[in-house]
Amino acid sequence: MKRVLSEEKLDSLISYILIFGVLASVAVEIVGIADYHSSSGNLNILFQHSFAMKGTNFFSYAGELFQELSMGSWSPMQVLGLGIVVLMLTPYVRVVASVLYFSLVRNPKYLLITLFVLIVLTASLLQL
Amino acid sequence: MLSVLIISVFAGFLGSLTGLGGGSIMIPVLATFGVPVKYAIAASMVTIIATSSGSAASYVKERITNVKTAFYLEMFTIVGAIIGATITSFIAPRFLYFFFAGFLLTSFLGLSGHLRGELPKRVKQDRFSKWLELDGGYYDEAAKKEVSYKLKNALLGGPCMLIAGLAAGMLGIGAGAFKVSIHELILKMPSKVSTTTSNFIIGITALAGASVYFGSGLLFVGLAAPMAVGTTVGALMGGRILNRLPNRLVRYLFLVIVVALIAQMLYQGITSI
Repeated sequence: MKRVLSEEKLDSLISYILIFGVLASVAVEIVGIADYHSSSGNLNILFQHSFAMKGTNFFSYAGELFQELSMGSWSPMQVLGLGIVVLMLTPYVRVVASVLYFSLVRNPKYLLITLFVLIVLTASLLQL
Repeated sequence: MLSVLIISVFAGFLGSLTGLGGGSIMIPVLATFGVPVKYAIAASMVTIIATSSGSAASYVKERITNVKTAFYLEMFTIVGAIIGATITSFIAPRFLYFFFAGFLLTSFLGLSGHLRGELPKRVKQDRFSKWLELDGGYYDEAAKKEVSYKLKNALLGGPCMLIAGLAAGMLGIGAGAFKVSIHELILKMPSKVSTTTSNFIIGITALAGASVYFGSGLLFVGLAAPMAVGTTVGALMGGRILNRLPNRLVRYLFLVIVVALIAQMLYQGITSI
């Protein structure tokens, strides 16, 4: 297993996760901005509490967003929110991938280190 | 949003050219236009994930980034970022202007003679750094040779990165110059590895900070979205022409921008008292 999963493979995987996440998020944001302009006729930024990203926690916010989008009903603000969610999930996914990698190659040292990072991030995203 | 988008392209472009990063430029500019500084910091934190991850991707693939060292140091920066962002959520905005101006001074570390020099020679690795497998190698295109290196002082470098993370989370910036200084002066990391590893760490540190701002209700999608698109495009453009510009011009640009940003944040701080 160790030979099959070399560190080069981890580096490549991380690289693909990062580039895909950033490109997907920027693409969604562009669609969201265009959608916002076509529906409201302007591009004004409103600093009202209803326009802030807020939920019980990040994962429930993301879950609700995906659910509403899959049902086909969305507002431009939700599309913009989706772009931010994809962006924030990008480094999170690369940590999950690293945890899986170090558990597969049985490197307990780095499994613990990456697991620590994952637990702290998850706790913070869950607003614990 | 259109103005934020256009300004972000310029900020991302200049941030990439000077090494300051888009966030350090965007926050003072947004403050000038009357955007509450805490909203600007929160949006910048999300933006940094995009610029950092975008540029980190290629360096990781080319194996210049030391991923293992990054994993170790991230343990400290994320904790620091969470503490820093929590402080920002509670303190009065006027303090943030002064902290921001003060921290911008650390950008000058990037110009220090200690940094960007030759490869560290005869590094005697301590036991802890060796146990953490903090070593590596990469192909140096400029020198046309394979470079291998060993790092030291991991025990001291970790807690120092906690401070870097705290400043990043608190001020919504990457704190790249500060991180690079720790890598090079304490861990004895080669310059190229240092810059790229710092870039890699900045993304995860920014996520930790952004998670706190999400919970505090300071994150506005209408501001963060155009900033993320603009700075990413700007940084991409900046990265493409950086090698074509003379070093002296880049340094002058850096000095003018840093001085202007410090003056702007001090002015905002003084007028908000």
